[in-house]
Amino acid sequence: MAKSKSRIAAACVAGAAMSALAAGSAGAATAPAVLKIGTLYASSGSFAVASEGQYQGLQFWAAGVNKAGGVFVKAFDKKIPVKIIAYDDQSSTATATTLYNQLITQDKVNLLVADFGSVLTSVAVPLAAEHHMLLIDPTGSGANFFTKKTHYLADVSIPASTVWPIPLGDYLLKQKIKRVAVLYGSNDFDASQANTLKAVLAKGGVKPVYFHGVPTSESNYTVLLHTIAARRPDVVIELGYPPNDIAFLRALSGSGLHFNMTFTIFPGQLLALLTKNVGAKTLAYTYTYPTPPLVKFSHVTSGLNTDDFVKTYTAAKHEAPNFLNAAGYNTGVIMQDMLKTAPQFTQISFDRALLGMSGKTKTLLGAFKMTDHGAQLGELLPVAQLVPQGKGNKIVVVYPKAKATGKAVYPAPKT
Amino acid sequence: MRDRGAWPGIVVVVLLAVVFLILPHVYGNQSLLFQMMTFVVLTQGLNLLYGFTGYLPFGYVGFFGAGAYATSLLVLHTDLPVIACVIGGGIGSIVIAIILGPLLRLSGAYFSIANLAASQIMFFVVSNGNLSKITGGPYGLKIDRVYAPEASYLTMLAILLLATGLAAYFRASRFGLGLRAMTQDPVSAAMAGIDVVRQRVLVWLASAGIAGLAGGTYAWNLSVFYPDAVFTLQISVFAIVFALFGGVGTVIGPIIGAASLYLLYNGIGISFPQGFELLYGALIVLLVLFLPNGVSSLLTRRGVRVF
Amino acid sequence: MVGLLEYAVIGGILYGLFFSLIGIGLNLIFGVMRIINLAHGQFIMLGGFGAYLLSRDLGLNPLFGIPLAIAGAIVIGYPLYYAVVPRLQKSHDPEMLSFILFFGIAQIIEALAVFGFGADQRSLPGDALGAGNLGVLGQEFPDSWWVAVLVSVLAIGGLYGYFARTKLGYATRAIMADRDEARATGINVDRVSAIAFVMGLALAGAAGVFVPYLLGSVSPDIGTGLTTTSFAIIIIGSLGNPLGTVVGGLVFGLGTMLMQTFYASWSNLVPYVLLVVIVLIRPSGLLGKAVRHA
Repeated sequence: MAKSKSRIAAACVAGAAMSALAAGSAGAATAPAVLKIGTLYASSGSFAVASEGQYQGLQFWAAGVNKAGGVFVKAFDKKIPVKIIAYDDQSSTATATTLYNQLITQDKVNLLVADFGSVLTSVAVPLAAEHHMLLIDPTGSGANFFTKKTHYLADVSIPASTVWPIPLGDYLLKQKIKRVAVLYGSNDFDASQANTLKAVLAKGGVKPVYFHGVPTSESNYTVLLHTIAARRPDVVIELGYPPNDIAFLRALSGSGLHFNMTFTIFPGQLLALLTKNVGAKTLAYTYTYPTPPLVKFSHVTSGLNTDDFVKTYTAAKHEAPNFLNAAGYNTGVIMQDMLKTAPQFTQISFDRALLGMSGKTKTLLGAFKMTDHGAQLGELLPVAQLVPQGKGNKIVVVYPKAKATGKAVYPAPKT
Repeated sequence: MRDRGAWPGIVVVVLLAVVFLILPHVYGNQSLLFQMMTFVVLTQGLNLLYGFTGYLPFGYVGFFGAGAYATSLLVLHTDLPVIACVIGGGIGSIVIAIILGPLLRLSGAYFSIANLAASQIMFFVVSNGNLSKITGGPYGLKIDRVYAPEASYLTMLAILLLATGLAAYFRASRFGLGLRAMTQDPVSAAMAGIDVVRQRVLVWLASAGIAGLAGGTYAWNLSVFYPDAVFTLQISVFAIVFALFGGVGTVIGPIIGAASLYLLYNGIGISFPQGFELLYGALIVLLVLFLPNGVSSLLTRRGVRVF
Repeated sequence: MVGLLEYAVIGGILYGLFFSLIGIGLNLIFGVMRIINLAHGQFIMLGGFGAYLLSRDLGLNPLFGIPLAIAGAIVIGYPLYYAVVPRLQKSHDPEMLSFILFFGIAQIIEALAVFGFGADQRSLPGDALGAGNLGVLGQEFPDSWWVAVLVSVLAIGGLYGYFARTKLGYATRAIMADRDEARATGINVDRVSAIAFVMGLALAGAAGVFVPYLLGSVSPDIGTGLTTTSFAIIIIGSLGNPLGTVVGGLVFGLGTMLMQTFYASWSNLVPYVLLVVIVLIRPSGLLGKAVRHA
């Protein structure tokens, strides 16, 4: 054991020395002709929809900066065009592992951007640290990632899922809604939210009347809904991925059951997809966490503000952007600011630049706040209700008060 | 049949060792090499069972996942050296194989699919939220404290050599001869004094142990993972496809099958990410239609006896 | 709580009957040809997308997806059968080689579906199969469930009639019992098998039409999960016996719904635990002949 330990230590030292050398030479050497940004996306499998959205947002950003002659890199005091090198991991973590390594060791990218979500980001976390690369993590918010100080991880576009339901829980307590049913998917993203919500409610003395995890692959909610209804809840909160939310809402509308308040996650991120699948009528008067572009941030320090982003993106891609497009774009904007402020062209300098930006930078997703563990604490997601308007629904933020744009219709009328 | 003793096995083992010790110095993407070894190990482990007893374990990934979890939990809860934890992963899988022993009473597709069901059961139990305190549940596990790509690479190589050595032993020894007799005609094999059940169980445990060791090392190499990363059915399917492609019941068939198809998979993935799944699917169809007995049959057809 | 139990039982029967339809095509093909159609779930997915396109582009009722599935099965199934199945059957291990080959086909279909339809979830209009609820013993279920169950029962009944009453059906059963003997008695094994293959795909496609109603939505990635569940169902019933699939489906549906009601987080274990327990007690499934080789 002592032997293997010393061998590992030797390998680490060698690795560190090599990368320090590489970093040093990069810092001192002449500027690269193009800035290589490596990333992965999934064209198929369970993360395809979200992953492609994020990737398109990043591409949109890159096209924009290249049109303007590239991004300004302070370390070289000049603008350098960017090139995205992207591979398809097909939603498989095994494939993603080799492809991340391909980006690092073969393509020798300057910046490494993770694929969408915690699952496909997870395998890059130790790999990036090993190679002393800063992993720019747009949407991987697994609670497991941010347990210690690191220079090699930066969650830039989404707060950790554990903090998402805090305003929702506060809202339920404030409205004195006591009978709460929570149904969640057994995965990191949903289960961590369910547990936070339970803890927030417990502080106000509320214990859910129904609190169960279901398999992530769950697609049949008819009998579950009936079981939930038997507990006579006022509010039913379903925490899932888009296929779960769709199946849940469709089962709800088909079942003839009605609750005073219904909450799901993804209408707030993928409103067009949800509306197409379950219909505007089913979504009417339900609640969600609204995300940009459904909520707007008009005062920004970097990049386009939310409205301008929607306009430019729609003009360029001929379809309105969703949250994941915005998250991908935001990742680019944050990197752009980072390069503008980092005095040296090294990964550690990049990380310090991000920490320096924390609390001062505002983008189309709101405030950028990062801890030295790499976790994002930016904007807490408010609570909103979908209120019928024309053929669709509009978002009315109901909590917290500072962001509210209207009052909730409670109990939800039958539509 | 001429007995060539242990020599061909030793040659293959030495060759593999040399190749995988040199490769990292020539080609920098060590993750790719590591995963390739992982798939060669799994393909060989599956070949031990399928190639020598005719039992196709559709749920082979269950042993891999069990090994990954057993190893990680040992790392988290004991002070044992990582290598000991990996061995613990192998033992964990063997224990699971003993529990699943009665499945060997089934034949053909029933065995395959019951084994698949068993692997799904393990996956769902491990990832169930009610067991988060023990298994990490849906949150997965993190053992990055011991993360060591070099050491895990060498460990996987050792397992690869072990698996290949076992296959070579099965191929060349009386034990293996008995196994093959058993697959072809179990009744007369039993009459010839071969303890059919005992031998079959031994192969089953060896095959599971190999997958467990591989799973433990794989978890060590990933060091942050969610349950589906080590229980995804894709792993079983790949191992089966690779084994059948190379040619089962031989020593080098699975090695060639796994190495070539895995490289192809990555080659397509890196050079044509857009049409990746389509090309890979089409290639597999064409290979089955035009090379149905695996690539090693190319040699057999020309009269070469494939080891 | 009594109401809950009744609801789960009735729901389980309905859901189970529908899942018999999901699994039966796989079993038919296995029974007749000893071919493992690993792309079964992808054919179900295609059926769902077919109904989606009819409904979106032509404004037709999704039920027209059933004739479309049959037409699609003929157009895809015949050439596919003659291109691959006879070749596979000449090989040393058709069961296992078909496994790899159809894995490749599954990949191709999934990739083409992503190219053609995008990776998003798609659904059918919620009220196309009736917007109300129908009750039995005071337990109400959406109309779409009843339509799906009715079609499942008709399809399986039709298959039963085909086996029991038609010449082709007799021939199919003869092949299922013993392929070589059937050939020796002058049955055109290839032609009869090709028809069974097309029927298997058509049944899968027809089941796909209802997937958006019972499982919320259809997307290119749902195939693998459906194949695995189908396997569980047909093994519970017994491999190669298409009617055993109904028993398998019912066991699966009831088990899942009861678990969902009382231990929601463990419901995905149901089909697999049932499978393992049943094959250990009766090694060839509930309706199988209890044969075993060594």
